[in-house]
Amino acid sequence: MAIQIGGKRLVDGVNITVEAGKCTAIIGASGSGKSLSCLTPFGLTPGEAQGSVKLDGIELIEADAHQMRKARSRLTGFVFQQPLTALTPHLTIGAQLQEAADQAGPQRLSRHELAQKLERVGLSRADERLDQFPHRLSGGERQRVMIAAAIVHRPKLLIADEPTSALDASLRGEIMALLDELRAEQGLAMLLVSHDLASVEGHSDDLIVMDQGKVIESGPSADVIANPQEEYTKRLMAATPRLTEPAPVLPAVGNMLMETEAVTVMFPRPGWRRGKIEAVVDASLTVSEGEAVAIVGGSGSGKSTLGRAIAGIGPLTSGRINWQGEVLPERRARSLAMRSLIQPVFQDPVASLDPQWKVQDIVAEPLKNLRPDLLRTDRDRMVEEALDDVGLGAEYLQRVPNSLSGGQAQRVAIARAIIASPQLLVLDEATSALDPLVGASILELLAKLQQANKLSILLITHDIASARRLCHRIVVLDEGHIVEMGDMAAVIDDPKADSTKRLIAAS
Amino acid sequence: MRALFSRDHWPLWVVLVLIALALVLPAVLPWTYDQIDWDAVRAPAFSGSHIFGTDEIGRDRLARLAAGTRVTLMVAIAAALVSLIVGIAWGATAGWVGGKVDEAMMRFVDALYALPFMFIVILLMVIFGRSILLVFIGIGLVEWLTMARVVRGQVMALKQRPFILAAEAAGTPPLTIILKHVLPNIAGVALAYLMLTVPQVVMVESFLSFLGLGVQEPLTSLGILVKEGADDMDMTPLGLLLPGGLLVLLLVCLTIEGERLRDIYS
Repeated sequence: MAIQIGGKRLVDGVNITVEAGKCTAIIGASGSGKSLSCLTPFGLTPGEAQGSVKLDGIELIEADAHQMRKARSRLTGFVFQQPLTALTPHLTIGAQLQEAADQAGPQRLSRHELAQKLERVGLSRADERLDQFPHRLSGGERQRVMIAAAIVHRPKLLIADEPTSALDASLRGEIMALLDELRAEQGLAMLLVSHDLASVEGHSDDLIVMDQGKVIESGPSADVIANPQEEYTKRLMAATPRLTEPAPVLPAVGNMLMETEAVTVMFPRPGWRRGKIEAVVDASLTVSEGEAVAIVGGSGSGKSTLGRAIAGIGPLTSGRINWQGEVLPERRARSLAMRSLIQPVFQDPVASLDPQWKVQDIVAEPLKNLRPDLLRTDRDRMVEEALDDVGLGAEYLQRVPNSLSGGQAQRVAIARAIIASPQLLVLDEATSALDPLVGASILELLAKLQQANKLSILLITHDIASARRLCHRIVVLDEGHIVEMGDMAAVIDDPKADSTKRLIAAS
Repeated sequence: MRALFSRDHWPLWVVLVLIALALVLPAVLPWTYDQIDWDAVRAPAFSGSHIFGTDEIGRDRLARLAAGTRVTLMVAIAAALVSLIVGIAWGATAGWVGGKVDEAMMRFVDALYALPFMFIVILLMVIFGRSILLVFIGIGLVEWLTMARVVRGQVMALKQRPFILAAEAAGTPPLTIILKHVLPNIAGVALAYLMLTVPQVVMVESFLSFLGLGVQEPLTSLGILVKEGADDMDMTPLGLLLPGGLLVLLLVCLTIEGERLRDIYS
């Protein structure tokens, strides 16, 4: 079986081959045309494919509606990125599976058979789940249902478009392992699309690297990874953090700066139910001058809540946050002087900038409040300096957030965070929404700023490998509790807690 | 803003042209809306200086149409603005403060929703007599409820956005955050619902006037004109068709435009 696409301007001259039982992975930054290449031949995007796409002997480009339907329904299965939205909300899991099974000609599967299909993808209590609606399932469970639905009619080709990107780090490994197993078992050919090299490594036989609609490099996975030929591939390899790379040289650490004592954050349960959710329980940690500390955990582990409590933008139920002996109160009780000590940077760079404001005003906002003594001219000069520090020129001053790329927007957010000379930055997944190359450059920028301004950093992330490039120490959170804390190298070499082991295995 | 000049926004332009006509025509026409031409009672269209003829007591139909449109739109726009201001203030407060305050404020809105408001307006009219002010109060009492709900939802969604948290971390005081960050970002949605409120108020006002509860003679509104036309439609159908057609045109254009704006912003 061969898939070939060529001609179209967004994606040009792409040759992809997937053999039965093998997995071909396409890697590229967002906008590189990797999803387009996979979905357009099936008529699933607005684009038009030219050239030649052959699936099991059917020419997809010239296929009529009937043949196309056959190719889509019987020969192919699709798994998409967002398990939240890819399942129909008003159909039970069983109904969705049955619908998927019907694609390849009407066949009535018994309840028992449907439950077996769910068990096959590793869902417990399968019989019960058949009657549940998608919103009752967690993200990982939904993605398993998606996979079950994609293979229930025994397709020959499985197209998985970023199947693990929306999932928790520790779940990613499990889902990839499941896909591998199923591939071997059913002789499936698999086309795997991802922006993250680390997540496909070891799961694919062939690797294709795409950039700006062109194939940069392709070949057997092991060869491409071990011995990349093209400049872009080399940079991509270097940008992908690994636990095996040599430990970075980190700047020296000064005196203790901030200390949290038994910080606890509780939220009332939503709706009319009584009781409270404990998001963070008795978290005690310290950050010293010039030190970078990683707070690592899966989603829902309370790491963001802890970061927000420290940054003074989230609630604090009990416990204390000490700053060089002084107690920092909760949220709105903080004085302007306290505000200027700690500044946050968020995960979604575009959402963290007010869409109605210009870059100039966004960056100047902390100065207006925290340094009201400054003259307008001084302020303008400092804004330009801060933008310069994060590698953006004066031409960005008048831009609005919508016209910025993710990386540029995150640089603006960092400029806003550092302009009032804080001593601690709280980075909440600051690189995880970005492409690997861009994310790595943001990490480099942070390391540079840390050295130049003697900044302390609290890096909240799910990705231990990227945290290792920047951080001295690591704090592992699981379900609100600190389960492990210590030097980065020591924890990675000898993890004690189960959740730490899972996170390390996932990166 | 520039997008408003594109051809997609023709309903807005139709409404604006009609408003301009309603404002300019009374100054240009030889007859005023309450002036009786004793020589031309029930004149047909295009007779002498009466382009659309006169009604059953000899008043110029075009002049009355312009005056009626003016009154109707004035009531509608004023009531919509009142609903905008009250609705935004109420909804933004509830959404921003949250918790128990939010619960209490929104239950109050629900309670008002449950009142049969047309009944209350009629009662008010009966007790205090007919006046244009009561029409305002009656309509304003109800129309801000939807706006408050919409704004509250928007504010609650915005409150979670990182840029609001970043502003808080930057030491921006809460009131400034609301004025500079929150309100500009809900302006689009609020504008869309304002556009949808106007036709609703037009409907309510016309309905009240049709029942004889709206504005007083000789002052007129589209609702009164439709009622007068309906009384006399077997003799002169033009008297019903003109105000009726104008009312439909206004409602359709405002609703299309409002829904289009709503689709853009939400």
